[in-house]
Amino acid sequence: MLNIENLHASVDNKPILNGIDLQIRAGEVHAIMGPNGSGKSTLAHVLAGREGYTVTDGQVLFEGEDLLGLETEERAHRGVFLAMQYPVELPGVNNAAFLKASLNSVRTARGEAALDAPAFLKLARDRIALVGMQDRFLKRNVNAGFSGGEKKRNEILQMALLEPKLAILDETDSGLDIDALRIVADGVNALRNPGRAIIIVTHYQRLLDYIQPDRVHVLANGRIACSGDGTLAQELEEKGYGWLNEESAA
Amino acid sequence: MSASSEILDRFVNGEYEHGFVTDIESDTLPPGLNDSVVRTISARKQEPEWMLDWRLRAYHHWLGMSQPDWAHLRQPQIDFDSISYYSAPKRKKDGPKSLDEVDPQILDTYEKLGIPLEEQKALAGVAVDAVFDSVSVATTFRRQLTEAGVIFCSMSEAIREYPDLIQQYLGSVVPHTDNFFASLNSAVFSDGTFVYIPAGVRCPMELSTYFRINEARTGQFERTLIVAAPGSQVSYLEGCTAPMRDENQLHAAVVELIAMEDASIKYSTVQNWYPGDARGRGGIYNFVTKRGDCRGDRSHISWTQVETGSAITWKYPSCILRGNDSVGEFHSVAVTRGQQQADTGTKMIHMGRNTRSTIVSKGISAGEAQNTYRGLVRMTPGAENARNHTRCDSLLIGDRCGAHTFPYMESRNPTARIEHEATTSRIGEDQLFYCRQRGLSEEDAVSLLVNGFCKEVFNELPMEFAVEAQKLLNVTLEGAVG
Amino acid sequence: MNTPEIAMQRYHDSLTGIQPSLTGAELPWLAGKRRSALEDLTRLGLPQRRQESWRYTSIDKLLGYELMPVTEAMASLQESDIRHLWLPDLQTHRILFVNGRFVPQLSDLSGLPAGITVGSLRDLIRCNPIMPARWLGHASGASRHAFGAMNSAAIHDGLVIDLPRNQRLERPVEVLQISMGRDDAILYQPRNLVVLEAGSEATLIERHVCLGNSHYFHNGMSEILVQEGARLEHLRIQEESPAASFLHGIFARQAADSRYEYSGFSLGGAWARTELNLDLQGEGAHARLDGLYTTGSNQLTDYHLNIRHTVPGCRSDTRFKGLLHGRGRAVFDGSIVVEKEAQKTEAHLNNANLLLSRRAEVDTKPQLEIHADDVRCSHGATVGQLEPIQLFYLRSRGIDALDAQRMLCMGFAGEILEQCRIRPVSDIVGRAIENELNALAPEVAGASSD
Repeated sequence: MLNIENLHASVDNKPILNGIDLQIRAGEVHAIMGPNGSGKSTLAHVLAGREGYTVTDGQVLFEGEDLLGLETEERAHRGVFLAMQYPVELPGVNNAAFLKASLNSVRTARGEAALDAPAFLKLARDRIALVGMQDRFLKRNVNAGFSGGEKKRNEILQMALLEPKLAILDETDSGLDIDALRIVADGVNALRNPGRAIIIVTHYQRLLDYIQPDRVHVLANGRIACSGDGTLAQELEEKGYGWLNEESAA
Repeated sequence: MSASSEILDRFVNGEYEHGFVTDIESDTLPPGLNDSVVRTISARKQEPEWMLDWRLRAYHHWLGMSQPDWAHLRQPQIDFDSISYYSAPKRKKDGPKSLDEVDPQILDTYEKLGIPLEEQKALAGVAVDAVFDSVSVATTFRRQLTEAGVIFCSMSEAIREYPDLIQQYLGSVVPHTDNFFASLNSAVFSDGTFVYIPAGVRCPMELSTYFRINEARTGQFERTLIVAAPGSQVSYLEGCTAPMRDENQLHAAVVELIAMEDASIKYSTVQNWYPGDARGRGGIYNFVTKRGDCRGDRSHISWTQVETGSAITWKYPSCILRGNDSVGEFHSVAVTRGQQQADTGTKMIHMGRNTRSTIVSKGISAGEAQNTYRGLVRMTPGAENARNHTRCDSLLIGDRCGAHTFPYMESRNPTARIEHEATTSRIGEDQLFYCRQRGLSEEDAVSLLVNGFCKEVFNELPMEFAVEAQKLLNVTLEGAVG
Repeated sequence: MNTPEIAMQRYHDSLTGIQPSLTGAELPWLAGKRRSALEDLTRLGLPQRRQESWRYTSIDKLLGYELMPVTEAMASLQESDIRHLWLPDLQTHRILFVNGRFVPQLSDLSGLPAGITVGSLRDLIRCNPIMPARWLGHASGASRHAFGAMNSAAIHDGLVIDLPRNQRLERPVEVLQISMGRDDAILYQPRNLVVLEAGSEATLIERHVCLGNSHYFHNGMSEILVQEGARLEHLRIQEESPAASFLHGIFARQAADSRYEYSGFSLGGAWARTELNLDLQGEGAHARLDGLYTTGSNQLTDYHLNIRHTVPGCRSDTRFKGLLHGRGRAVFDGSIVVEKEAQKTEAHLNNANLLLSRRAEVDTKPQLEIHADDVRCSHGATVGQLEPIQLFYLRSRGIDALDAQRMLCMGFAGEILEQCRIRPVSDIVGRAIENELNALAPEVAGASSD
């Protein structure tokens, strides 16, 4: 589904990604781990098409199509979803209106009919239950005045609505207490299916206690330093990231 | 950011929707202003002597004044002798008695503007007084209002039918000497709306006036007077459009509101006069004096405005908070693009005890437009425990426009409290990215974010108007975005 | 009472009269500057209320005085007269001016490193006029009002600092400006010039005090150039006589990556106006402007800030607070202008006023004029009295009303004082404000219990 080859990217002329190679098939869950500054979030933003991140080399194919040539919203239409580490507040923008506009833009791009208000509300209520939220959530403004946990749950709700093919969860676990973490993890697990790939970007192993990854990749200095199965995450938890630098120095 | 510049282009080049001209026969005075023009206007309207005297006093006062020169406003000198001060659609002998008698072309115009003039279509419950160029064309919902004791009629009619009320209240908030354009208006105003809500009456429906300038080279000088007797309540809506013409046209209205004890007036405006073309040719000069007098204790006056049109807008809907515990509010969205200039804001003059005022101003500036908030909050020595809160936010779209915030705060009472905050920024890149990541086009994202930015103000508008305002904003932005 | 025309003529005549006797009258560049300033004076006329920047500030009172321009100290002081006025517990380079005139025998500039100039403008004009010829009038530009023109028409003496490239002045420069009135009201017009070359660093502390209570008019101007990467910390304590008229225009210009940190404390004067004009002209320049003013009895304190961002990537943070009591009046006008080219500007300004008396008055006018879109700008202003709930809280803990009020006022002032890194300065100001509050009649407490 996703094929990343030799990806180099820089921010403000500073190289951050220095040759990433990664293949993800439909139905797989990959975890990308690594210390601060290793390029995890940069990778997530490059895939979503954030401005200010310049790809200097390499290519990314998504279902055979050149992802990097697409505008941000076109990637969303193809089914790329980024759950952000710091979901943006949109003052005055109603959550329901936002979700409906977003869902319908994606549906229209897929050639499906736009949902009218009642149909949308029905679907939204259905998915809200999935992330353990209440209906009144829809009446509030997008992320404005939300607690950290609410913002993250709102991201999962959006994901549940948009049903992406590739979901990238950028540090979704940061700042969550154990209950919120479990709710988020349950939401993600519920959305696992054979047609969907998920990338979990995280610093800590604890989210992976709840979501079992098929593959774990460790990023250091803008490259994948090593890959393995779920046990690699456990190993990292015990050893920390310090050994990475030793290894790369050696 | 190429997408943004594209947005800008579309925004700047968006076309004005209401720019058609209605071809009807009209009775228009030749351009120019002198004693005899003032007399003619008064005579055409069959006004009593006292009204003519008032007009002449205003005219003679105006002659001694000079056109103000406001900072931050690029403004050509207006040639007041090139304007025609009176234009009326030609009509059958005594004017229309009912809608059937109104020129179908005019009705068609209002149809295009989406105004529910025909009563059958006006089930939404809006009573409309429509002013076409200078003359009030039709007033709907007469009967229901009469039963409630509400007077809702054209100013000409009010001068004939209710001379006592007019003599008592006209000019009592905005005197004929107030300012250059108010004096001019007092001399030549051709029509407008008069509303009187008797004591204790809650007006059974929202009242509405639509203004349209049709004739070329005419000025529109309407005069609105709303009096809310003790304990009464009214909500009034005003909308404006004009055809596209190359020359500038002058709109110098005066609106006076008077709220007695426990009375409440809500005045909402959606102003969409023709703004001129992309190069700044043509468009309406919108120089308006709007002032409300909270005369009685616990009275309440609330101004809400959505300003998207006009080449130049100059208006400061104000409140004189005379009564104890009276409340003044000002909620404003001003959108400028192309070469438009808006200089708008409010004055809150606190005189009574425990008076409260709230100011919320949202300015959006794009293209090469200039958008200025100018406001005054004054706490006089009598304003014991008075409160003001002001919030002004400006949004810039593109790097050739300007946004300016000039608040004045004067306090003469230590128990009064004034709080003012203002911000200026552009739409956050992170916000745009977030929306686009969720699949919204840049155009939709901008529109969504701008609507969110304005929401606080839209929430103040009556339902039908809020929808219209939002549509208007989207139309404006639609033109804007790639 | 004089008409403005008469006052104008008098200013003009007396300045014309003294010009030939001023130091450097024989230098064409200087004589030319003075002459053209005199022409500016005539052209500009005296400020009037209908001018926006004088809307709330009347000069009528000032025009009532027959002012005599002086260029000499007009007084002789002993070391013992001023010893207590220097900052305690602080090693500084000390420089004394009396009525605008440098007094070398009571100054102490002995420890100055070689190559650094700290001294008198008059001396420099006489001995080595290259630096003043290069920089005088550079930051100030053309006169903006008659008082600026008057100052420029009689440029004579004042503080000069010239810090060469990459020089870091360890000790602060401490300037004592003493005013000593006489029976006839005097006008003195100091002109300061501070140039920090690229990469240099200094701290400048100015203190304006008065010996005696007579009327005089201080009409001063300071030009400050902070060149590339240079850093200036500028502290000013204004404790003029309660009868004095005081007007001082500061013109600061910042080059790329420079820092200018201003802490101003205005406590004295019957009519005191400070104009702070800041031009951020090099990318990456940052400015922090903090101010505190108190005004009581019949005082007028006026602060006019004009902050101009002309290039991208600069930042300014401005915070001014005022305590008003008695019949004190305050005028605050704080304008931020962001020009077209100045993208990525961050500029914030706040003005808070606390009214402690029924007869105190404040007029505040923050302004934003923004011509670039990629900016973050804000301003805010508040006017009010102490929160009754806070007073109640303290009183419920057994603190009497006046003490409670004092504590809350000191807390209000403290937010600015804390920013001041030179402790002896914040101590002096803190004590002065405390004394001012202690002297207040209990009227104030009543204001809140209406």
